[in-house]
Amino acid sequence: MSGPHAPAHEPLAHEPLPHADAVQTIATVGLQERIARDTFRLVLECPEIAARIEPGQFLMLRLPGRDDPLLGRPFALYDVGSDGTSFSIGYVVIGKMTRLMTELRAGDQVELWGPLGNGFPKPPESNAGPTLMVAGGIGQTPFLAAGREILGAAAYGERGRFEASAHPPELLYGARSAEYVAEVDRFTSRGISVSVATDDGSEGHHGYVTELLERRLHADPRPARVLTCGPEPMMAAVAKLCEAAGVPCWASLESPMACGFGACFSCVVRVKQSDAAEGWDYRRSCLEGPVFRAETLVFD
Amino acid sequence: MTPTADPPAPDLSVALGRLRLANPILVASGTFGYAREFAPLVDLSTLGGVVPKTVTPQPRTGNPPPRTVETPAGMLNSIGLDNDGVDHFCAHHLPYLSGLGTAVIANVAGKSPDEFAAMAAQVEQAGGADAIELNVSCPNVSGGVDYGRTPEGAAAVVSAVRAACDLPILAKLTPNVTDVPSVAKAAAEAGADAVTLVNTFTGLAVNWRTRRPVLGNGIGGLSGPAIKPLALRIVYQVAQAVDVPIVGCGGIRTVDDVLEFLVCGASAVQVGTANFADPTVSGRLVKDLAAAMSEEGVLSVRGLVGTLGPAKTAQAVGTPSSSRESDR
Ligand SMILES: Cc1cc2nc3c(=O)[nH]c(=O)nc-3n(C[C@H](O)[C@H](O)[C@H](O)COP(=O)(O)OP(=O)(O)OC[C@H]3O[C@@H](n4cnc5c(N)ncnc54)[C@H](O)[C@@H]3O)c2cc1C
Ligand SMILES: Cc1cc2nc3c(=O)[nH]c(=O)nc-3n(C[C@H](O)[C@H](O)[C@H](O)COP(=O)(O)O)c2cc1C
Ligand code: FES
Repeated sequence: MSGPHAPAHEPLAHEPLPHADAVQTIATVGLQERIARDTFRLVLECPEIAARIEPGQFLMLRLPGRDDPLLGRPFALYDVGSDGTSFSIGYVVIGKMTRLMTELRAGDQVELWGPLGNGFPKPPESNAGPTLMVAGGIGQTPFLAAGREILGAAAYGERGRFEASAHPPELLYGARSAEYVAEVDRFTSRGISVSVATDDGSEGHHGYVTELLERRLHADPRPARVLTCGPEPMMAAVAKLCEAAGVPCWASLESPMACGFGACFSCVVRVKQSDAAEGWDYRRSCLEGPVFRAETLVFD
Repeated sequence: MTPTADPPAPDLSVALGRLRLANPILVASGTFGYAREFAPLVDLSTLGGVVPKTVTPQPRTGNPPPRTVETPAGMLNSIGLDNDGVDHFCAHHLPYLSGLGTAVIANVAGKSPDEFAAMAAQVEQAGGADAIELNVSCPNVSGGVDYGRTPEGAAAVVSAVRAACDLPILAKLTPNVTDVPSVAKAAAEAGADAVTLVNTFTGLAVNWRTRRPVLGNGIGGLSGPAIKPLALRIVYQVAQAVDVPIVGCGGIRTVDDVLEFLVCGASAVQVGTANFADPTVSGRLVKDLAAAMSEEGVLSVRGLVGTLGPAKTAQAVGTPSSSRESDR
């Protein structure tokens, strides 16, 4: 990605685009199941994308043959199936498209393009400390694949398989209440430890997930890094705690997108840039993110 | 058995004044990035041409997000001409674009005829562009004089550019005026090789709960299938009134849409919002157009342009008097 002194809004011509191997294709729904209140897991048969996509990358999904909703919607990789020909996403119902998606049944078709964006950086050396993954709400979805990769349990895209970390990854998972907490078993059964926090105390810690993080940052073994995804105020708080603790942090942003691959300039986020008048510049999250080193971002 | 000769492949080539294109499928400024974003998905060399995102004399930060919002069968945008300026465009994007094997139509926007002219000259000097499109129609930039709103303003920009640069000129006009044909006529008389019709229609999306506009900049420009009938009407009206090649644009996403614009009087088309929702659409439309023409036995795109006949119940469509008559 462009260095701090690059004058451009975009990766320079000699730098590969994150979606260099993207395809547009039709996928068949393999399965849809409810996993929490207003929250669903959708399995899509799509060998082209399943073979390429990496943890933290996303794809755009659209319902074919419709003008309304017109645009695709971005969804992160949840996990790739063991057969390697399917993958899943997890989503929460918030509006027009996600409401219609709940009607999808096995055999239905959706249009997809991806893989898109830059995924999480590769796992740290196996003997470094654990990776903490801090999720808010549906922001948990990128961390199943990320966690399994760190465990050396699955290989994704071109990155291949990594040596298993001596420190299993830990998910700190915040939700409004117990009924929104989705698929903790799917994480724990794969060796990812999970600590839940709920706003109303109906499950796990009563309070914010950042309270769990603050405690964990100062406990042993010392975390090697933090990955976070969720509502922006939460990610801003996570970034601040990590900075204070001197632990590197990456945030996966969910700025709304119209195309997903750099064509529309609608997904821009503020990235620090020393030579810009305001000290920051708008950058396309779909091309330069959605995973950013948190300290490079200007949060609201 | 006498072998039946294959029908000749239809002739897709078109001319926009001095600009010759291999086929009439172009992609619209601001909806195709700087083309390289599409390289993994579209064989760019098959397109009639690409129009990269508008460039301005100086870098512009653009408007605060949210910059786009979906609306029924369309979208509103207020990107605000976020770009790195014409120097960066010439140094960084033009060399890439010129190697694509397709026509490159650089799109520029300035605040005065002089700024337009200086940018056109700079782009011509840098080399690699086959034509210049003048964005005298962006609804998202406050401050500057809106040259595309009056025949005099449009003519001033076009003649300044014509004097400063020898590249073919496309004037991209706004639909947000009462009388597009008179602006198109002025642009043509000032030396535009073609007019691009249309840019977005101004619109507003609101959140009544927060009592605020949805877009960070308030008002935006509407595009997508929702505007196709409006754009077709304007293309048809201008084709009837002015003798200038037209590039049709607005809501195009299928080959039928392309053919509708052609028969209404467009010599070429630009695909815009559809590139976001269906990234491979532009390349597919070139193939679909050839196939649809072969199936219909149509030999050339040029033979289709402006062939729309009168409405069944009236002598002509589109003129206010005749439509009133047909209403009676
Ligand atoms: C890279 C990326 C990955 C994502 N991964 C997932 C995922 O794995 N699972 C998941 O459930 N969601 C994910 N999202 C968010 C998801 O794309 C949106 O929830 C979805 O687009 C909503 O579509 P809709 O038609 O249902 O809602 P709309 O009808 O489009 O919107 C309803 C309301 O929500 C607002 N809104 C829309 N999108 C967003 C957003 N991204 N952030 C905040 N407000 C928004 C709108 O302004 C509107 O007020 C991701 C987003 C990005 C950018
Ligand atoms: C997100 C977005 C950005 C645009 N940016 C520009 C631009 O920079 N310059 C320009 O001349 N037109 C711009 N347009 C207008 C399009 O080029 C086109 O004229 C318009 O969208 C209508 O066509 P469509 O309905 O096929 O999208 C933009 C449109 C959209 C949707
Ligand atoms: S979503 Fe279109 S540029 Fe990022």
